[in-house]
Amino acid sequence: MSALNEKPNAEQLPVSSGAAILQDGHYLPPPEDHDGKLWARTTVLVQATPQELYNLWRAVENAPLWQEKIEEVVVTGVKTSRWTMKDGDKTLTWTSEILADEPGKRIAWRTLDGDVHQAGEVIFEPAVGDRGTLVTLLMEFSVGKLASAWESLVGRNPKQGVVENLRHFKALAETGEIPNSQSAPHGDRGIVGKMKRSLYGETVPTPPGATAI
Amino acid sequence: MKAVCWMGKSKMETLTVPDPELVNPHDAIIKITRTAICGSDLHLFDGFIPTMEAGDIMGHEFMGIVEEVGKDVHNLKRGDRVVVPFTIACGNCLFCKKKLWSACDNTNPNAHLMEAAYGYSGSGLFGYSHMMGGYAGGQAQYARVPFANVGPLKLETDLPDEKVLFLSDIFPTGYMAAENAQILPGDTVAVWGCGPVGQFAIASAFMLGAARVIAIDRLPERLAMARSIGAITVNYAEDDVKVLTALKDLTGGIGPDSCIDAVGLEGHSSQLQGAYDTIKTAVMLETDRPVVLRQAIQAVRKGGTLSIPGVYGGMLDKVPFGAAFGKGITMKMGQTNMHTYMKPLLERIENNQIDPSYIISHRITLEQAPEMYKVWRDKKEDVTKIVIDPWQ
Repeated sequence: MSALNEKPNAEQLPVSSGAAILQDGHYLPPPEDHDGKLWARTTVLVQATPQELYNLWRAVENAPLWQEKIEEVVVTGVKTSRWTMKDGDKTLTWTSEILADEPGKRIAWRTLDGDVHQAGEVIFEPAVGDRGTLVTLLMEFSVGKLASAWESLVGRNPKQGVVENLRHFKALAETGEIPNSQSAPHGDRGIVGKMKRSLYGETVPTPPGATAI
Repeated sequence: MKAVCWMGKSKMETLTVPDPELVNPHDAIIKITRTAICGSDLHLFDGFIPTMEAGDIMGHEFMGIVEEVGKDVHNLKRGDRVVVPFTIACGNCLFCKKKLWSACDNTNPNAHLMEAAYGYSGSGLFGYSHMMGGYAGGQAQYARVPFANVGPLKLETDLPDEKVLFLSDIFPTGYMAAENAQILPGDTVAVWGCGPVGQFAIASAFMLGAARVIAIDRLPERLAMARSIGAITVNYAEDDVKVLTALKDLTGGIGPDSCIDAVGLEGHSSQLQGAYDTIKTAVMLETDRPVVLRQAIQAVRKGGTLSIPGVYGGMLDKVPFGAAFGKGITMKMGQTNMHTYMKPLLERIENNQIDPSYIISHRITLEQAPEMYKVWRDKKEDVTKIVIDPWQ
């Protein structure tokens, strides 16, 4: 029994949640960066079912549609795939292996070999109050490999890159496209204008999402 | 095509730029038949809104003819006549489902910039800085309209452009301001700023049941326009006029039930605080000049409502929050949830309840636009609203 017994719409106090956001009903911050590892944890609320979102994520060959600078993903086995990240003439490749695969709920993966060392987990759970699906993404990178490569290639802090990719995923899931203003017509930008574009992150091409025609 | 481009603070140029192209499946390309310069464009002209880049195409009030649609736009076809809302909304996110269209999650490609400044990002806007999306605006001959399946209002009427153009922003913005003012029949409403949004806020306050509307400005032509639709006017720039005293005098000492700040971040004041804010913004200790906000908080009656359609951009100084708390007032504000209002307001125009074209003072070409920005900023030539025909 608790002192409060009238809470008609309250959820049950969650014991724990994916990506360690909650433990015994108490919020835990994201893991701290240490020993050369960076962590990024981010969430979005998506108007789709956990199963639909799982399906979209699990079709890894479609990742180039919504992940920044991913050129190609080739499925090489039930649990493995070969990834290519490209920027101009620079290319990074790696093999990814799925470690946990719970349809409609969770996917976890890690890189096996290649230019990049990372691991990740994505969790799909119904949001409280019937407000869609809460998607939580936790990723770990090794500094000096993906982190620095991502920074130079993608032109973003790698943690922000994780945030942007999950944002693109949500937009694609909810609308069938990813918002994009990078090809907007404009007058001469001058030198300062070009510098500002980089500052705004607009030199990172928005992934295509879907085509117009 | 030709377009009006922002080339730096206080510098506009009409340039030849590439035509827009379809990018996404819900896009449409609109051939623009009428567009306008908005009061909020002056905040860009005057350099108050960060993340503008040289070359950006201005304008967020426009209408026209559908030229081309993306593969997933089924409600519009080439040749349809549409008014385009200035906020872009996807129609599918949690916020769109709640009809908070201007809070759409999925239309600002540069959401991270706005998140850094505001905590969360609102919807993308046309021609209103990179923080707000980086989309090209409508002071041009063509525009790309994302989510054309959700936003543009298709016109089945033969009403002339000038009567329906303002459904793109300022009429719904004035209307939402009046709705946010929580007006009850018989209420007295005070409106600061008798520019276009103020005019439509006054008109909408009457539509929503206000008995008395008090309009505050310093420009005689705007005050005359407010009187023409039934408002009582107060000119704060006249000798010995004190707005707070005037509002007490006109309400038996209790103050207006609702106050509407249709001025926003570039308020002017004849008092010392005007100089205070000008200096503080100049040395970047403050980003906005909230003279109207301060006055409206002071003026509104106990338990009254303050509605803010005027744009604020950043950090405000010396806002009398104690007065707001002490009187228990309600404040409502924000970018307009356009998609909710366009159709019902079109019906009001069709039913002849209002003719929004009454505010137009100038009809110009794209080439004349850069010069007219200065006239608009300096409030010369009795300017009240500038409409552009991009094909003249």
